[in-house]
Amino acid sequence: MIVSNSDILKFFENVKNDFDIFIPYASELDEDNLSYKKFSNNKEFIINKYRTIDPVKTLLYLPSERVLPVNPKVPKRIIVGVKNCDLRALEVLDAALLKDNFVEPNYKVWRDNTYIISADCTEALSTCHCVLLDFPPYPEKTEDVSCSYDLNLIKVDDNYLITVGSKKGEELLELIKKYCSVRDASPEEKNKIEAQHAEIRKKLADINSDFSPDRKYDVISDNKDEATWKELSAECVECGGCTNICPTCYCIILNDESEKDCFKKVRTWDSCQLSGYARVAGGDSPRAKLWERFRNRYQCKFNIMEQNFSKSGCTGCGRCISTCPAGIDLREVIQSLQEV
Amino acid sequence: MPKVDALDLTNLNPYDVLKADVLDVITESPTIKTFRIKPEKPFEFVTGQFVELTVPGIGEAPFTPSSSHYEKEEMDITIMKVGFVTEAVHRVKRGDVLGIRGPYGKGYPLDKFKGKDVLILGGGVGLAPLRCLLLTLIHDIDDYKSITICFGARTPEDLIYKNQFDDWRKYDKIHILRSVDMIPEGQKWDEKVGVVTVLLDDIKINTKDAVAVACGPPIMMKFGTFALVDKGFKDENIYLSMEKKMYCGFGQCRHCVIGKYYACKDGPVFTYDVIKDEEKIWE
Repeated sequence: MIVSNSDILKFFENVKNDFDIFIPYASELDEDNLSYKKFSNNKEFIINKYRTIDPVKTLLYLPSERVLPVNPKVPKRIIVGVKNCDLRALEVLDAALLKDNFVEPNYKVWRDNTYIISADCTEALSTCHCVLLDFPPYPEKTEDVSCSYDLNLIKVDDNYLITVGSKKGEELLELIKKYCSVRDASPEEKNKIEAQHAEIRKKLADINSDFSPDRKYDVISDNKDEATWKELSAECVECGGCTNICPTCYCIILNDESEKDCFKKVRTWDSCQLSGYARVAGGDSPRAKLWERFRNRYQCKFNIMEQNFSKSGCTGCGRCISTCPAGIDLREVIQSLQEV
Repeated sequence: MPKVDALDLTNLNPYDVLKADVLDVITESPTIKTFRIKPEKPFEFVTGQFVELTVPGIGEAPFTPSSSHYEKEEMDITIMKVGFVTEAVHRVKRGDVLGIRGPYGKGYPLDKFKGKDVLILGGGVGLAPLRCLLLTLIHDIDDYKSITICFGARTPEDLIYKNQFDDWRKYDKIHILRSVDMIPEGQKWDEKVGVVTVLLDDIKINTKDAVAVACGPPIMMKFGTFALVDKGFKDENIYLSMEKKMYCGFGQCRHCVIGKYYACKDGPVFTYDVIKDEEKIWE
């Protein structure tokens, strides 16, 4: 289904009072950085290009949120321009937070009230490395991958090809059709998209040509050598940035803000990189040393989440690399572990 | 307009807290108190499970009740003053209000204990959850072959539940062995002196077919487990209470992860065969 660029804009214009629409805009400080902001018709948004600075989890699993009592009324939202690395991350969060026997109430309400309109990457950042994890830089529905988008947009010339990913997506498409004229994609357009996909995959392969995609993750848990890990973590300043910015990290602390008989609980992101994280009363900690906490993040992403959810905790977004003040590159860490 | 209804969460919130009145506060030792609480609704749990106790405005911490699970109206929780939340708990007085949520984790598989000799190994405030188990076992004492209790404390003064041992000694099936690490001047003690594992030399049960349950400080857990294995207990019959930081209680916050397991959800009691190969289990 093809819809024109101007029609999509018209759609956003028409429904902006019914939905909070979040869409990537270039940052005023650095135009290479994209971040989700509320839709505004005065500025040019960027649906495709590459991932935003902040992962989509910041809109669905807020940095700090009251969970008791919960606020059952949240606005309906559309998040536009979510990239495949963040879709894969949403699948991890869904597996962790929406289970048969445990449903995180706030996450569920945000998730249920949010439509995800994803988009293909048309460019890549130097830290992007989804290809090393065998993920394409665009959503792809296969037998193994359910892909948690409702609609996906692929830029082709001055139009978008819309694909439907879910029942919610079908509903949303009906709404779009009210404001936009749609037509089927032509064979030329389909060919063009295939060529675009091949081009962006090639670009990502070139960016990551120093790294072997043939990675073995067992080496992380198997390698308990203090000297190796001390060397890998030598520059780490323990800021916790890598975990906060990671689209799949969901560790929290629960704070009590109760007043008299009214119980209030607030959950806030926590980071396993901080020394107090696993420390129990009395002072014991299973990971008292920095290199142990550093190793834990790699174990969690590549070994434990795989065991827990049959999904990789790393989706190749590269945000931890971009954000690290010490310049630690996750790809280099994995690579050097292969060679030990 | 697509219809998306907001969820009714009143019955779903896993963070929900029950009000609990403090009925009594008993001083057990210079650093340990037992709080008798009455939750606003009867509170069902199975021995081995734990609860999150809220001190309003201060915080929350995980504790295992120390009263029998057959008692549903009221509950004892024995708490050592050791950190931020427990210091606040120790300031709580009769008539104050606390919060309780849970229960979380898995209970002891009592069916597997039936007809067997049960050894209970505890140190310090580790006796608290073990008292819950013991009182539950006493309730159905005919179901078990025997119960041997090995309890240790730092000094005679640090031993908790001092007045209750005589009640337990009345049962023919119960054997009690106690030790203290040291006897400071002015304190009296006529039982064994030494770390709690020395008591294992005096047990008179067939360890190959018995179950052992241990709870205590990390160092005791480590050497206690090694001693139990040494005495002939099978790894799968050694039940260990793992002390980890547990914020949420249901596997969300991840602080208590032991390899692929969560102490809160898959434990807090694990048999030794399950966790022996995981990293850093004693810290």
